[in-house]
Amino acid sequence: MLVRCRFLVANALRPSTRTITCRASDFYTDPSKNQEPGVSTSPDISPKQREILDRALRVDQAGEIAANWIYRGQFAVLGRDPRVGPLIQEMWDQEKLHLEVMDKLQLQHEVRPTLLSDVAKVAGYALGAATALMGKEAAMACTEAVETVIGEHYDDQLKDFELLPSSHPSIPLLRDVIKEFRDDELEHLDTAVEHHSQRAPAHALLSAVVAGGCKVAIELCKRF
Amino acid sequence: MTTTSAKLLKLALPLIKNHGFTRETLSLSALSLPTPLANPLPDASVTALFGPGDDACRTLVHAWLDDARRRMKEEAIEKMGMGDVLKARLKSNEPVLEHLPEAFALLASSPLLPLPLLPVDPAPIIRHAAQVSNQACWIAHSDSSWYTRRATISAIYLAAELHQLTSPKTAPEFLDSLLENAEHAGKALDETALFASYVWKSWRGIVRSSGVLV
Repeated sequence: MLVRCRFLVANALRPSTRTITCRASDFYTDPSKNQEPGVSTSPDISPKQREILDRALRVDQAGEIAANWIYRGQFAVLGRDPRVGPLIQEMWDQEKLHLEVMDKLQLQHEVRPTLLSDVAKVAGYALGAATALMGKEAAMACTEAVETVIGEHYDDQLKDFELLPSSHPSIPLLRDVIKEFRDDELEHLDTAVEHHSQRAPAHALLSAVVAGGCKVAIELCKRF
Repeated sequence: MTTTSAKLLKLALPLIKNHGFTRETLSLSALSLPTPLANPLPDASVTALFGPGDDACRTLVHAWLDDARRRMKEEAIEKMGMGDVLKARLKSNEPVLEHLPEAFALLASSPLLPLPLLPVDPAPIIRHAAQVSNQACWIAHSDSSWYTRRATISAIYLAAELHQLTSPKTAPEFLDSLLENAEHAGKALDETALFASYVWKSWRGIVRSSGVLV
């Protein structure tokens, strides 16, 4: 029941229609847009606002590193499965794009990356591989739990970004990028649920443990 | 910090060359105001604005270091190498070189030492080197191994700056030699890691082909 509610909330956070327009992340992946001020400069903001921006981008980059390695671990075990393998590959490819953009945001705003990036890689791979070894449904349950936490986290960040001035072009672009990534993560959540994540053994316990771990990781990466 | 004290600190910076990192410099800064005072600031005013005793001098040292870092960024030109950035930072020490040993001694003799048994506090000096290194890495677009690179550049810069205090003329060459050694060491480590990965892959292939894992 609780899981069903969470699924409905997740759907409510995502817009029901997505028009096919230029994605915000294209500004970071298209080399012809490299010199645009929104992509190449950082705003002159107060120390408190700078700290909000630094922490947000640090934890986002760490999260995308972990997500990449979770899918890498899942693919290592389930990559050859004809049904789930291509699915994991597709979601992993999207996370690779997210990480590419986050790396560019980190450089643009001169943000210190997390000290825990190697820990994120090892823990992500271990989580992905372990849940994949438990079965396809457990792997999907892991994806469901992680993407739920990340989706909520991006939504909270959008509220924090309201404190940043919109006068500099990088800030509205950043908000659009985070919205786009939030929608992508919630799409992954939908995919996981559609592929029977809720049939995983001890689904509630597994989801709680994975979600709890993600929340602890988010708090650690904000600081370190 | 109040606007007044920030303004006075900024005006005090050009006076450091002649008067050092002293309370006298802070006192004389009032004579450089757009509407200058008739007399330098009295000692009580310096204490009120910048703190008692050596605290005021430490405030001045920090202001000078922050200004030097700001100038690093402002005076940076496109495609500047790490060596050029660090040499420019060492060059900015030259006008106040004779006062720098005293400045570093002030930083290291903070009244709030981390451990009572330590005679000096190395943290402010290390923080200074880390800040210079961070700024230099951003200017030179040094993207590899974020923390390792910054730790290496911090150590190199600190060694070069200490060398500059005793032998200013040979400091740039010393800096170049340290950077070159660091580059050689980095390449040696990379090649060792590459060789280790080849060995690992070959053993993995041997184990797989032996059929032990089937």
